[in-house]
Amino acid sequence: MKKCFLILMMLGLPLSASAVEQTAFTIRSTEIKKQPYSDAQTLATLPDKASVKIVLRKGGWVSISSAQGSGWVKMLNLRSNSTGEERGDNGLRSLFNMGRSGSSGITVATGVRGLSEEDLKTASPNPDELAKMKNFAVSQAQAEKFARVGKLNSQTLDYIPAQ
Amino acid sequence: MYKRTILVTGLVLAFTGTAAAFDFDWQKALKVGGETLQKVQAANKTVDEAQEIELGQGIAANLLGTSPLLDNNRVQLYVNDVGRWLSLHTERPNLPWQFGVLESTDLNAFATPGGTIFVTKGLLMNLSNESELAGVLAHEMVHVLSKHHLAALQKSARMDLAGDLANEALKDRAGPILDKAVKAGTEVYARGLDKSDEFEADRKGIIIATRAGYDPYGLPAVLQMLDAANAQDSSLALMFKTHPAPRARLNLLDKIMADNFDNYRAPVQTDKRFLAALAQVK
Repeated sequence: MKKCFLILMMLGLPLSASAVEQTAFTIRSTEIKKQPYSDAQTLATLPDKASVKIVLRKGGWVSISSAQGSGWVKMLNLRSNSTGEERGDNGLRSLFNMGRSGSSGITVATGVRGLSEEDLKTASPNPDELAKMKNFAVSQAQAEKFARVGKLNSQTLDYIPAQ
Repeated sequence: MYKRTILVTGLVLAFTGTAAAFDFDWQKALKVGGETLQKVQAANKTVDEAQEIELGQGIAANLLGTSPLLDNNRVQLYVNDVGRWLSLHTERPNLPWQFGVLESTDLNAFATPGGTIFVTKGLLMNLSNESELAGVLAHEMVHVLSKHHLAALQKSARMDLAGDLANEALKDRAGPILDKAVKAGTEVYARGLDKSDEFEADRKGIIIATRAGYDPYGLPAVLQMLDAANAQDSSLALMFKTHPAPRARLNLLDKIMADNFDNYRAPVQTDKRFLAALAQVK
């Protein structure tokens, strides 16, 4: 699977046949890294406003291919090329959305919409659903167990003051 | 003599009249003074926590009136696990935090005062992993922590929320003022909060998610997804109307995060269980 993915990446092919080509541009000079880490080897440097194709996202890093080479760049150094040409509900076509399937484009959920401005202004309460919701609330002990199972470790850090 | 009688009667009447007038004014003055005093005292307080929770429950019931819960116990429990774990890393860990996935196909998330958080099925289905879910929930939780909706309500409804609710509480029953606050409170969700409140929620939300062991870039990744989405799509209409543009939010996070968050990683176990929990959601 990994090999297959690498070949696709080398060929610059999208991961899924139905995938819309995902492109973005750099908002500053950006290093292309061999791995998704700050201290990984730098393979090349992209100039500001360089165009890249998005292959995969992993946390704060995005795997890209570009005229300057392929590798990993920091996600927040990129902004999407939204065309702004789409109109209406023709699928959301999100460039960064890898979704759960790995294919691009926003997944369109089926079912009721609700929650429009008008709905909110004329809302009437649904106490039964509120009562049902309380049944799903979990205790502190349950949440701590959930964290242990997921190997989540608490970190200590302060809020960043407003700038 | 006749004249005198008239005069005396007049005097008596005048005196009685004066006395009655004085008596009335005195009572009124006392009453107005008392109410003013009560309001001044109440205004110096904020809405107390019990009232905040009661108000939030009322608004939550209204939101559920516009979209019921997604009928999937596993997903509901999973989102509560993530949210409750996050809550333990906030300054208000003992609120009655509860989390719900709404059936709605819209992409949105909501917080109501006192610790009730909603995310829509439409948004949930477009998230990639537990860190992104954590980022969304943590953003909403900041609105609760900083009481953003209470502030918006107080401003918009032109009501002395703390004072009026305190006066009603003195009567020891929930009444028309709470009802009015719930209705006005629900309308805040159609208008949205101040932009600065949304930026604060992003800025603090990434910290809460990171404290809980998640990837700090969960929320930025969701914003990238939204920034690249078709802004004309109706499933994004309310969220785009009530929030600053995703790109402005990304730019702010870019600036404050800089290179300081590169060494945090979410455990791979959380990615796996996210996919498993959502497997049946359509």
